[in-house]
Amino acid sequence: MSDTLQEVKIGHPVPDFAFNCYDPVAHDFPRISLEQIKQEGKWTILFFYPADFTFV
Amino acid sequence: MGAKLITVSTDTEFTHLAWKRDEKELADVKYLMGADPNGKVSRLFGVWDEASGLALRGAFIIDPEGVLFNSEVNYFNMGRNIDELMRKFKANLYLKKKADEGCPSKWKEEGDRTLRPGPDMVGKVHEALND
Repeated sequence: MSDTLQEVKIGHPVPDFAFNCYDPVAHDFPRISLEQIKQEGKWTILFFYPADFTFV
Repeated sequence: MGAKLITVSTDTEFTHLAWKRDEKELADVKYLMGADPNGKVSRLFGVWDEASGLALRGAFIIDPEGVLFNSEVNYFNMGRNIDELMRKFKANLYLKKKADEGCPSKWKEEGDRTLRPGPDMVGKVHEALND
């Protein structure tokens, strides 16, 4: 991925992205990508927030 | 409901674990907690705040083909309404099956009245919603 990322637009495909996650059910740290969720045939809901240990 | 919910902040996955472990309010959390310490994903979605290095309160709904359907971004001190996010998600699921219909603002769930745009509806939205 380049440093000059094109921001996403409604109605347009989102470029693939990936990040490490904490999975509280499996108690594990899986790496999850959009491509992987698409392959499972699922929708993705991303919920951004500023920081852990604050009042969400 | 056929969706993967992931919460994302610029904390690491290790901090996520510690927060989930210590904060009793999070005892029932089952969703994945995404770590974006370098802000790459936050930048992609336009929620990265350069000054603080934190992510704004953004919510995004992406369909199984990878197309973005909804976005909502609030400033740091304004909470989001989860019911409204779920309403939008349910509407998207419905419209995926019925692409020629429209879900009006008060639409809550399948069975509620939808709009079907066409010549007959021009100037008659009030009747379509209320009759």
